[in-house]
Amino acid sequence: MASENWLLLLLWGTLVGLDLIAVPQVMIARPLVAGLVAGFIAGDPMAGAAVGMVLELFALEVLPFGAARYPDYGLGAVAGAIVAAGAPTVVAVGIAVGVGLGVAVLGDVGIQTVRRFNTADLSRHRAQIDAGERRAIVGLHLRCLSREAIRAVGLTSLGLGCAAVVHSVSFMDLRSAVALHAAVIGVGVGAFASNAVRLARFRRQQLAWLGVGVMAGFAWVMFT
Amino acid sequence: MMSTWLRLFTLQASWTDERLQGIGAAFAVEPLLRELSDASDERYRAALARSAGYFNTHPFFAGLALGAIARAERDGVEMRRVERLRSALKGPLGSLGDRLIWAGVLPLASAVGLVLTALGHPVAGIVALLVIFNVAHLALWLWGLPTGWRLGTAVAQSLQNLALQRALALFGPMAACAVGFALPVVGVHLLTGLSPDVRLAAMALAGATVIVLRVVYPGFGAARLGTFAAAAALIMGWIWG
Repeated sequence: MASENWLLLLLWGTLVGLDLIAVPQVMIARPLVAGLVAGFIAGDPMAGAAVGMVLELFALEVLPFGAARYPDYGLGAVAGAIVAAGAPTVVAVGIAVGVGLGVAVLGDVGIQTVRRFNTADLSRHRAQIDAGERRAIVGLHLRCLSREAIRAVGLTSLGLGCAAVVHSVSFMDLRSAVALHAAVIGVGVGAFASNAVRLARFRRQQLAWLGVGVMAGFAWVMFT
Repeated sequence: MMSTWLRLFTLQASWTDERLQGIGAAFAVEPLLRELSDASDERYRAALARSAGYFNTHPFFAGLALGAIARAERDGVEMRRVERLRSALKGPLGSLGDRLIWAGVLPLASAVGLVLTALGHPVAGIVALLVIFNVAHLALWLWGLPTGWRLGTAVAQSLQNLALQRALALFGPMAACAVGFALPVVGVHLLTGLSPDVRLAAMALAGATVIVLRVVYPGFGAARLGTFAAAAALIMGWIWG
């Protein structure tokens, strides 16, 4: 991959990491979007779409109510798409989604770490903030925003590093690759089903609508 | 107003464990409070300090709350009433946003995107996801702040808005239906091309995942479960290979 593409991927990963919570929450951090665009940049959009689709199944668990904790599937999809680019689907998707899930979990750890730093920063400037000093508030806000960007750059770099390792070391035989592929798809579909039930139970009458949708989906699959 | 509008996009950038969205709220509302500083610097600083206190609501409804709070500050409403307005708005707007956006618009957009991608149209899939989500996002963004600013302490009236009530009634069922439709379509797409025994193993794992995440250990999370399953599959592949 050309060095401009590595830089573009780093930029895209930063935007995706920022979009999750910090700015502007327009959902480029959804794995479907993040994965496909990262795939385009890495030269293999279909691999990016495949990884993004599997991780999107997992991401339905993210209903970011209040101060809930959740994995960063967007950065996971960027990392996964880079890993999968250029490799045959059955070999690539399993390992790429595996790497993506690892990055997503680390993304959650990163979010908590950033928030701890933010809280410590707030403690240091409490007096000025409680006195309504504009400069202190704006400064704290911008420093917090920078920490989010650093988190995103760090995790995207980790994804790029994983991709470099996976691409240079061919350590997987086909049997392991297929087992991994089946594992991530199985858990992904299960997670999607589980979260669909949770979503429908948010308001009980929605269970009926979920049932209607499932039946229509099966009918579509059988007759097309 | 425009400056506050733009700053609202960064509301959650300075999330802290102590004040949650408080610092972001003060950063966003600060331009609206500036005209207080012409009258009295002390009033401006007191209002800004109050804005930086504990605050947490749905980010897309924050404009409504912050507009109303800023208006109350500008109108010289008594401090205790401003504090009461601030805490009274957080919960209901948070719950409204959670139901409408996180449990309605977002799953609907995601399911439509997934189905289109599974049918071989990934670009249409992400365009649909982004358009469905952001039409709702931007509509709330455009409506919230001026409405809050116009109504001030009477902002609760805005929750009776007919379009909002209709959206609440529509998006939940639409999301449930779309997610239900996506489940078999995407599942079949992902399992196609695998040998029958691998397909069976994946389906068994999907069933086990539902049991683990819904019954055995709901707090474990799909990402951790997926990571463990991937690691286990790799190890088993090596042993059998």
